[in-house]
Amino acid sequence: MKIAKYPFAVLVAALLTVALTTPISSFANIIWLSSMNLPVNFFSSLEIILFDFQRLGIILYGIIIIEFAIAFSLAGLARKYVFDTKYLYPIAGAVITGLTLFLLVEFTTQTEILSGNRTLIGKVLHCFAGFAGGYLFYFLISKDRELSFIIRTLGTIYAYLILGLVLNWIFTPIIAASDFGFVFNELSSNAQNALLRDFSAFFVATFLFSILGVITLNSAWFFSAGIVYTCAGIFNLIAIYIYGTDFNQIFIGEFFLGIFPIALGTIISYQKKKAKV
Amino acid sequence: MSFFVNLIFANYQFETIASNLDDAWSFDFLNENQIIFTEQPGKIKIVTISSGEILNVEGAPKVQYASQGGLSEIVLDPDFKKNNILYLTYSALNESGKSTLFLMSAELSNNSLINKKVIFEANAFRRVPIHLGAKIDFLPDGTLLLTSGDGFDYKEQAQSLNNHFGKIIRLNKDGSVPSDNPFVDIPNALPEIFSYGHRNMQGLVVMEDGRIFEHEHGPRGGDEFNLIEPGKNYGWPAITYGIDYSGAVISPFTKMDGMEQPLKYWVPSIAPSDMIYYDGDLYPELKNSFLVTALKSRDVKQIKKINSLFSEESIFSNLKSRLRSIGISPSGEMYLLTDGRKGKLLKVTITEI
Repeated sequence: MKIAKYPFAVLVAALLTVALTTPISSFANIIWLSSMNLPVNFFSSLEIILFDFQRLGIILYGIIIIEFAIAFSLAGLARKYVFDTKYLYPIAGAVITGLTLFLLVEFTTQTEILSGNRTLIGKVLHCFAGFAGGYLFYFLISKDRELSFIIRTLGTIYAYLILGLVLNWIFTPIIAASDFGFVFNELSSNAQNALLRDFSAFFVATFLFSILGVITLNSAWFFSAGIVYTCAGIFNLIAIYIYGTDFNQIFIGEFFLGIFPIALGTIISYQKKKAKV
Repeated sequence: MSFFVNLIFANYQFETIASNLDDAWSFDFLNENQIIFTEQPGKIKIVTISSGEILNVEGAPKVQYASQGGLSEIVLDPDFKKNNILYLTYSALNESGKSTLFLMSAELSNNSLINKKVIFEANAFRRVPIHLGAKIDFLPDGTLLLTSGDGFDYKEQAQSLNNHFGKIIRLNKDGSVPSDNPFVDIPNALPEIFSYGHRNMQGLVVMEDGRIFEHEHGPRGGDEFNLIEPGKNYGWPAITYGIDYSGAVISPFTKMDGMEQPLKYWVPSIAPSDMIYYDGDLYPELKNSFLVTALKSRDVKQIKKINSLFSEESIFSNLKSRLRSIGISPSGEMYLLTDGRKGKLLKVTITEI
């Protein structure tokens, strides 16, 4: 497992950086909304922070994984051949985060994608988030890791993916419905109720299953989430080909969300069986 | 519903008047046979409808053609037949090298612009020319309205009255400020401001009775169709039905005392790009409705007021083109402009079935 820990350490470190980065934009927004005398309270702040962590964060996550993979590889080489200090990874994380945010603006739309990065203090805080990610990476690679580390990492990422759907259905069902092709306000009241009730329960339940799987490493939780999404994919195809509904590609995502936790559950079961033998 | 709509509009055809237009943005009718239009890189052209011949107009202002900026709106003065004056909006660098929105008046003489005057320079300086608004229309009292967008990175400024980000501006035709503008007596407020709290407004219609309708691009979701009244705050970005392109929350609030609600909003976005109110007789199915061209949904939204609600139907989706602008000729015929580097000017005709 010595080799495998590096990429998974990058995934975990990047997720920490996302978790530290997105609240910078959230708080910049909350402060401005408060200054406009809008009724910002605990729940509306939580809504902003959680949504930003998931929706904004998921885009950043991909970017940060790539930047960390490059920066930590270079830092690893420097550590091996130039000088060995535990602060090399944190410094690499801070520098690459600041550089990436700068280049994102300069070479894309020339507009600031992260509202929290408009001020100097925001830029410093983003670099600090990269520093923290680098430090976590160093911590994670500094000793051997078990298979459970990988399963927990992947399970957490899986839950992170589903979190967006959970938040959407709880806080902004109109936008969530539009993502699924519904114009919410054009549905009857009963249809709205059914949609809100069933979709929210569906996503909240599978999110909880995956979190419980991560905490307990009990394969049944992962299997439960996987079975639900696999069934959704199967019934999506039945709806298209037997009941004649419009073709959609959502079944691809459903099968992915189904197979992913089933694979995790299978690995856990296999490991437990092996341990018994 | 789309099957039903297609049946109604089955006899509507589109005749190409001009093609290969380079980011054409806006057009107006010099007469029944000539259309003057802008191309964002900074060209003004006249197309003769009967022959398709295109002439360049000399003397267009130097523009900053980048991002969403360039030469934008062209509108003839209501008294154009007497004074030959037209109005242009564009993004450009000012004397200090700062990018902003400009409004120019000029006289059209022998296919050239003369007596050019910059009558307004927005106090809305931005890094790149984006979210400019740039639409013009005239009020019955002879003053003009200009939309000035929020500049994207400066969206919070739409709530401050000390700048022109996210504002509708009201001016006299010479650029002076009408004395009855809503904020002329408010300290630290810019006197040109007519309404505020807007985003990127590319549709503006003044009705015969003086009512003003506007639409504006939302971010991801939250395009709005508004009834504009002087001095009112339309909420952006404090309240919105959309989220940021990045997925971030702009505001968890959709309503707030002292901030106006849209008559209608779109989630997901349609990217509304222009609007007219059609009250002619040539297209009976469209009579007494707003027609909104859309870039993202690639159609025209027909908006009708039924009782107190605004209903919407998608029309002309068979064009499958990002639609940039719409206009009605003096004789009542409808024209559409498609978006992009190979844009087309289309005439909407009705054939007998």
